[in-house]
Amino acid sequence: MKFILFTLILICPISTYSQPNCNVYQMNNDQPCYEACTLATTGGGAQGSRKSQEKFDRAIEQCPKLDYAYMEKSVPYLKRGDFITWKILIDKAVELNPTGHLGYRGWCRYQFLRDYEGAIKDLERLDSILSYDIGYSINGDYQLNIVKALCYKALGQKSKAIEIIENQLAQNSYTPMTYDYLHLGVLKIETGDTNGGIEYLKKSISFNDYLAEPYYYLGLIYKKQNLPKEFKENMEKAKTYYLKGYKRFDPYTHPMDKIYLADIERELKSME
Amino acid sequence: MLAVIFFGQSRHMRQGTLIFILLITLYACGKTQKNKADYPLQVGDIYFDSKIDDPNFKLCDEDRVFQYYNFGKGLLYNGEKLKLNEHFIDGLKITEQKDESGFLTIRFIVNCEGKTGRFRVQGMNNDYKEKIFNKDLTNQLLSLTKQLDGWLVGEDEGKTFDYYQYLTFKIENGKLIEIMP
Repeated sequence: MKFILFTLILICPISTYSQPNCNVYQMNNDQPCYEACTLATTGGGAQGSRKSQEKFDRAIEQCPKLDYAYMEKSVPYLKRGDFITWKILIDKAVELNPTGHLGYRGWCRYQFLRDYEGAIKDLERLDSILSYDIGYSINGDYQLNIVKALCYKALGQKSKAIEIIENQLAQNSYTPMTYDYLHLGVLKIETGDTNGGIEYLKKSISFNDYLAEPYYYLGLIYKKQNLPKEFKENMEKAKTYYLKGYKRFDPYTHPMDKIYLADIERELKSME
Repeated sequence: MLAVIFFGQSRHMRQGTLIFILLITLYACGKTQKNKADYPLQVGDIYFDSKIDDPNFKLCDEDRVFQYYNFGKGLLYNGEKLKLNEHFIDGLKITEQKDESGFLTIRFIVNCEGKTGRFRVQGMNNDYKEKIFNKDLTNQLLSLTKQLDGWLVGEDEGKTFDYYQYLTFKIENGKLIEIMP
């Protein structure tokens, strides 16, 4: 039962994302699309099942402009590694409703394929269309400008990545997300700004003290500074947290700047 | 009305009409079956193919093969992804090859004993279009994937399950850049 509940929880964030208001079609006297939209948004088969895929096909047949059905139909292909079919379907959704799906497609290109250039292209295109905030990743971990920054970091443009994150954090209307300070701290270390690294990793801890990662990276700084006591304290804390399950986790993929138990153990061993 | 028209025809015409009706019915049946078969029971299902699959690789329950993410624990591998990365980095012997860029995905099943089988390969270029990668690179990645022996069994509340897993290799000019998921 626990397993089934967890599966449902995993499915829900994606399948309920930007669910359309079908009444809009009814208000516009578009009965076929109203019915198709109702069909697509009502239950009927588990995600990726034949029954579910056929349901979306029927909805698309009845209302070819129903972007939501294309998007939902694409999701199981993405999660199960058929990226060719996923892209064909999500492209159709983007074509029909760019503002509704560009952010999602960009995020998925980053999260599932590490297609950094493709993700940046989508997020920048979305930014050029919208006059307001470009939104958040579907799992709720990031504001999409931060995702763009992580893509630039992966492409080696670390200063640009720092600039994007700092600009985002400086916005009055922005509430920092759980991992913003961690990534900024790691970027600072990677660009040689040790004090900046310490500042943001400590900020990450005071903002969310349920992560092994900031302790691990702080430990690395202290190791470099030849401060064995501080190194050991932070690495051991990282290990305790990791074993408790306080670590970066994504059920589908591996997040950037995530550490592993073997990383911590290797570091602890290096100081023995 | 139809009966009147039918019986009003000559014997030959009646035979022709019957054959025509039969063909239409067969076509319609075939059409219905084809539509039903367009999707597997679940997107991504891999069915046994005697030409390429090992007949000794058995599943606990052919009708209930889950996805790796259903267990909510991420990648189920002993030593985590780090170990898996090391396996490929150490094992892959590839010199740089221009035009060999894109994503190579290998899908397979981890059975309820942690053994793997039913491997399927899909290559994709950077524009998300199908691509056939160099045979040597493909074979090396496939063979290294088959050698992985640290898969953990999919488990929930004391029961073990078979599950689908995939590995996607990001390749740039024949060089392995990243492994997903």
